[in-house]
Amino acid sequence: MGPRAVSLACVLAIAVAGCGTGERADDAAAVAERFHAALGSGDGQAACAQLSAETASKLELQEQKPCEEAILTLELPKGGTVAVKRVEMRSAFAGLAEGGADFLDEGPDSWRISAAGCEPTAAEQPYECELEG
Amino acid sequence: MRRFLRENSLSIVFLVLFLAALSGQAIAGHAEINEQQVRHGDPEISLGRYVVSSDFGNGVLENWQSEYLQFALMILLTVWLLQKGSPESKELDQGGRETDEEQKVGEHAQRNSPKWAKVRGIRRMLYENSLVLVMGTIWLGSWFAQSVTGVVAYNSERLDHHMDTVGLWTYLGTGDFWDKTLQNWQSEFLAVGSMAILSVYLRQRGSPESKPVGAPHTATGVEG
Repeated sequence: MGPRAVSLACVLAIAVAGCGTGERADDAAAVAERFHAALGSGDGQAACAQLSAETASKLELQEQKPCEEAILTLELPKGGTVAVKRVEMRSAFAGLAEGGADFLDEGPDSWRISAAGCEPTAAEQPYECELEG
Repeated sequence: MRRFLRENSLSIVFLVLFLAALSGQAIAGHAEINEQQVRHGDPEISLGRYVVSSDFGNGVLENWQSEYLQFALMILLTVWLLQKGSPESKELDQGGRETDEEQKVGEHAQRNSPKWAKVRGIRRMLYENSLVLVMGTIWLGSWFAQSVTGVVAYNSERLDHHMDTVGLWTYLGTGDFWDKTLQNWQSEFLAVGSMAILSVYLRQRGSPESKPVGAPHTATGVEG
């Protein structure tokens, strides 16, 4: 493979690594805002629709009640705007301006929240989350 | 056409092997990623999506950078370093950049010598070092691309574990980056070193990478 072709491949790799992440970050942020808006209006069903299947299932198992009831009993931010959004391949982070953060995974048709109401702990340690899948 | 194929068979065969191996790597890597996806309860991704991901890119580029480093170092160091008995080495009294006459440059260039071998100044200097310069540039470029794709894959893993992401500069100091880099470097250096030594004592009839079968072990810088 000639040097020009290899150099082009390297440039393409760099481009692809960051390609499309802006739009995908906006989509992830929209899911997080929809989730917290649903909590703010007391709509448990709409809130649960933003969760990953694994997270919703784990919540129901822990609380021993349907997701739409259990989600409203948790201490999660009600409403809010995403101030920090980040996408890395199939994972995303949404930090709320009002405090707290959510982690999202890419689902079959859109982003889904895998952890919510998260706060940082020590450096190089995972966030502590009110809701976790 | 037949003549073209025969006279270029080495590069053609290796290009085909490269494309076949790259395709195989894509298929195997795609299968592995989807196993992980299913294990984490996440949806599988398509092959098309995988081959433009940082996962695949990082896997490809960490190998490319080490190959080009191997060639750049081999080409450069064999100017001065010698290995008695090896066809990979110059003869023992030939260490160094050699004379203009030996290198057929300037007034010693032949009629059909490359154009920049006949001139003086910066053009000749560039051409005299063009092999190392190009190999070295590709090495640095692919190592940089490895780091860019690597930090994305690394950060994806961190987000998956509900941790903060890191910047590129921080990533360059991580075990992940240096593990991927050095695991490739060690194998490249071992391969070159092995070749230098094994070719002293072993032979492959007909290959220019080997000494002639009947050449003594002490014969240095001869080809089969």
